[in-house]
Amino acid sequence: MSASRRRRLLAGVLTLTVALTASACSGGDAPQTDPNTITFMSKLFGTAPDPKGEMQQAIEKFLGKKLQITWVPNAEYTEKLNVTLASDDIPQVMVVDPHLPAFVKAAQAGAFWDLTDKLDKYPNLKPADAQTALNSSINGKIYGLYRMRPLLRSAVIIRKDWLKKVGLDEPETVDELYEIAKAFTEKDPDGNGKKDTYGLVIPKWPGNYASASPYDVIETWFGAPNGWGERDGKIVPGFDTPEFIEANRWLKKMVDGGMVNPDFATLDAAKWNDPVHQNRGGIIIDVNIRSRQWLDLFYEDDKETYGDKVTMVGNLKRSDGKKFSYPFTGYADSLAVSKQSVRTEAELDNVLKTLDKLATKEGQVLLSNGIEGRNFKVENGDTAALINEDDPAVKRIQNDVDDAFIQLSTKGDVSIGGIAYQRVPSGEPYQEMLKLQKELVEEDLKTAVHNVALPVVSPTAVAKGAQIDTIISDARIKYLSGTFTEEQLKAEIKRWYDSGGTQVAAEINDLVSKLGQ
Amino acid sequence: MSTMTETKATQPVNNNSSLGSRAFDTLNVVVLVGLALITVLPLLYVLAGSFAGEAEISSRPFFLWPEKFVTESYAYIFATDTFIRALLTTVVVTAVGTVVQLLLTFTMAYPLAKRYLPGRTLVLNLVIFTMVFSGGMIPTYLVVRDLGLLDSYWALILPLAINPFYLIIVKSFFQELPQALEEAARIDGCNEMGVFFKIVLPLSKPVIATFSLFYAVAIWNDYMSPLLYITDPGKWTLQILVRQLTSTDAATALSQMDRTWVPPEQGLKFAVVVIATLPILFFYPFLQKHFAKGVLIGSVKE
Amino acid sequence: MATDLAPPPPKAATKAKKRRAGKVPLRAALARYRWLYLMLLPGVAYFAIFKYLPMYGVTIAFQDFLPFLGYSGSPWVGFKHFEDLFSGPDFGRLMFNTLFLALLHIVIVFPAPIIVALMLNELRVSFVKRSVQSLIYIPHFLSWTIVASLTYLLFAADFGVISGWIRDLLGDTAKVDYMAQEEWFRPLIILQQLWKQTGWGTIIYLAALAGVDPNLYEAARMDGAGRFRQLWHVTLPAIRPTVVVMAILASGNLLDSGFEQIWLMTTSLNRSVADVFDTYVYYAGITQGAISYSTAVGLFKGVAGVILIFGSNWLAKRLGQRGLF
Repeated sequence: MSASRRRRLLAGVLTLTVALTASACSGGDAPQTDPNTITFMSKLFGTAPDPKGEMQQAIEKFLGKKLQITWVPNAEYTEKLNVTLASDDIPQVMVVDPHLPAFVKAAQAGAFWDLTDKLDKYPNLKPADAQTALNSSINGKIYGLYRMRPLLRSAVIIRKDWLKKVGLDEPETVDELYEIAKAFTEKDPDGNGKKDTYGLVIPKWPGNYASASPYDVIETWFGAPNGWGERDGKIVPGFDTPEFIEANRWLKKMVDGGMVNPDFATLDAAKWNDPVHQNRGGIIIDVNIRSRQWLDLFYEDDKETYGDKVTMVGNLKRSDGKKFSYPFTGYADSLAVSKQSVRTEAELDNVLKTLDKLATKEGQVLLSNGIEGRNFKVENGDTAALINEDDPAVKRIQNDVDDAFIQLSTKGDVSIGGIAYQRVPSGEPYQEMLKLQKELVEEDLKTAVHNVALPVVSPTAVAKGAQIDTIISDARIKYLSGTFTEEQLKAEIKRWYDSGGTQVAAEINDLVSKLGQ
Repeated sequence: MSTMTETKATQPVNNNSSLGSRAFDTLNVVVLVGLALITVLPLLYVLAGSFAGEAEISSRPFFLWPEKFVTESYAYIFATDTFIRALLTTVVVTAVGTVVQLLLTFTMAYPLAKRYLPGRTLVLNLVIFTMVFSGGMIPTYLVVRDLGLLDSYWALILPLAINPFYLIIVKSFFQELPQALEEAARIDGCNEMGVFFKIVLPLSKPVIATFSLFYAVAIWNDYMSPLLYITDPGKWTLQILVRQLTSTDAATALSQMDRTWVPPEQGLKFAVVVIATLPILFFYPFLQKHFAKGVLIGSVKE
Repeated sequence: MATDLAPPPPKAATKAKKRRAGKVPLRAALARYRWLYLMLLPGVAYFAIFKYLPMYGVTIAFQDFLPFLGYSGSPWVGFKHFEDLFSGPDFGRLMFNTLFLALLHIVIVFPAPIIVALMLNELRVSFVKRSVQSLIYIPHFLSWTIVASLTYLLFAADFGVISGWIRDLLGDTAKVDYMAQEEWFRPLIILQQLWKQTGWGTIIYLAALAGVDPNLYEAARMDGAGRFRQLWHVTLPAIRPTVVVMAILASGNLLDSGFEQIWLMTTSLNRSVADVFDTYVYYAGITQGAISYSTAVGLFKGVAGVILIFGSNWLAKRLGQRGLF
């Protein structure tokens, strides 16, 4: 290609570009200011609701407004988010993880409304929990309505029949858990005459350090900070403490003794329950609601005895009797309001009023339970019992709620302190488990160790994420599997600091200290 | 050019099979059948799993026949019209798209096969350039939007209308065609367009068969275009639904700490894979008979 | 076969005239080949609109691009992202891993469909031939997610079917966690690719084989050539152009490792061999929102691809093959 030709081609392409974008701007730029329509973009699990379906009609009737919802498959949400932000037809309200780097950058560049001082004016939008609202903020600035989740979900779920078989009680301390895992490994708890069992089941964890993995939970039990915590007046990452090493030494002893599934680095997280169901493992450290999945599996096997196979305890005490519990963030994603499609304060007020109405008990029930009298009825004043389950039209309502509309609800149900009705499966073992869960959560919250760095976002951590995010979580697993010695694990922690971690820590300290002001 | 006669067999024929030749045949059959088994066994597991209960899938590591035959997964899929609608959409888009893409690819490849055409090298260079270089997802999205194609089925067809890879292969194929045929037609008074449609395309059946399969499968399997360009879920194609039910969502839900959502059952995943794969699988045996015919059989003798 | 193309049915067009036709009287060329140009037009329009129009997007690589601010609003940073890439601590490792996988791909995965196609071509029982053909291409339709979970099912340390067989054969000492070990990462990736793509890959070669003039075999047989000599002298030369074209085209994608497959197979224990450009870019670009950085990596891969594809085309021509054009 000669230079002149190239230039001519370039010129042609450029002309075409300009022509196209120019023509687009005249048409596509008009913001959607129809005050009687509200537009959303939300994650979707499963299949999408029909905009003319019963569920959406019911919500529209309740709000007195038209709804326009872009449902995006959860797995590709971030891709779609990037593309949507680049175009100028952005929905007014978006469901988004407020700490997703792409969102943080967009919000800080002014793409979303800062709602910090605005929410108090709306009776139902005022954050129910100030700490959670702060946790969901970016360095103290709140860019969205957080979606409420339980403040504490960690628990230890154990095969009840195995415990009985080896003659041990439910554990209260890590040492007792160790003894149970040991007995599960050595005492043939499934009674098949073969030594083919182990205690604890851990999957290939999809997240990095401080992502509620079993490792993170155990480290907290041993007294390490949850993510970031204060040590000698300075905020340090949890892995830079002696407790972190101690916890992993304890776990490594279990791995070495064959008390953990040998494929803990590779077991597909979606198949986490399988070893338990196949009588190979007997303990899982995870969120408490996993106990229900166990019950489901054993229920399918035997509808009489399934309740005898599952038990659960909360967070465990350290050897010296001190207890540190692992809390969760209290939210998952926020509803953020776009500045591109909601341009003026008056428009924002209109949108927030709509969201306020949606945040009433009636709205939240619609979003997370469905239509009363159609797919559920209220029992005991706070529980939703499913009805008409065989009617296909009702099934559709239930699916629309579970796959889609519940994503727009911000307040959760009464079981976690929200306002929608809770859903309790029938069957006594399920109800007992739920009762137990409530008691454990209440008890553990008293000893919860909070991550002090949750509200802040370190720019270096975002910029260097691809290089440093996996250092610690990889080193931890390499240490546990025997690939690394303890010295090498410590060397990796140092490498984290050298690769940008020092700067991350400095920024976190700086940002957290500014939060208090 | 060698003389052509009408022969049916296209593979080497040998009348006096030697011992070595027969031994080779046996070995060949054994190896290929073995390969076929290796490819098909895991698939049979998927098929069997789609008819098995959740407890069975999680308790038996590998099986080819479910102990207890259940059709719950399929019942779930066909309980609403979502899947059927998506299936129909996909079939129509695939059919229309394949025709459009074949037409565009073949008409462009033909002139590019003509070495004497001025400007041909430039165009070819520019085409090859796009195979390794692209503007990226966001600018392409903006072009599609500016053309007013968002939420239109054409957005699933036009942005992928010509696969440069296929274009080059079709072009090389056209270059192999005997020039004499075209000359004969031209003497009969056809212009290039006429030659292309009357002589070249009929000669290209095996290639058309091959690339209709390639294009059809590409559209069938595409999920990024519907994801980006189609916001109306009523217009979603099958792959979006497949993706929704089979992707590693469980894992993402884990790391995002949002676990209100229960992952779909394994059996359902398998059933979705079966449903999304079967229709397009039938396409191949249908085309296979065209592959068997030699390219030049039955054409003019020189 | 007519392999060298005769010039067009030129109405007394001498070479000299033709050269001028290309240079000055563009109109004359347009007029003479108006039908061919007309046929070219829709395709050219396609490439202009859907491929070249969006190419302004590469400017992102020289910006700190924020989707919200757009191309005009995002700040320019020159070569910053390229410097980050080339001076980053991971560059050498990413390059090595990417190239290693590419090498294995060329040596093992690329020839596999050719060999299988030749074997299929030698099958004389048409029923077997058709059945095998229709079976081996099915895996192409399964997503990598499904392939990964099947791999896990077969190779899991604990209860994998194949790892179980190996253990039965070699005893308990042979208990290896194939899914976790660094040294097993590449073999598993290659196995997966072979399983998923070999059958599909044979289609193009079978189409080429179908085009072989049967008379050539007849002639060879008359000359007393046995089966293997027929294969050598007739079949192979007949599919060589296809193989060359496929090889050149594949060379342009040498640095593409296939993001999804590798992402799914990566664990904490094998990451040091598993990290390739594609997975790194995904993490940086999508998860971390560093769109500019990942575009810069894409641009680097594109430049490498252009060099490779035009280079191998040149090389093919030097070796007496036809090449892409």
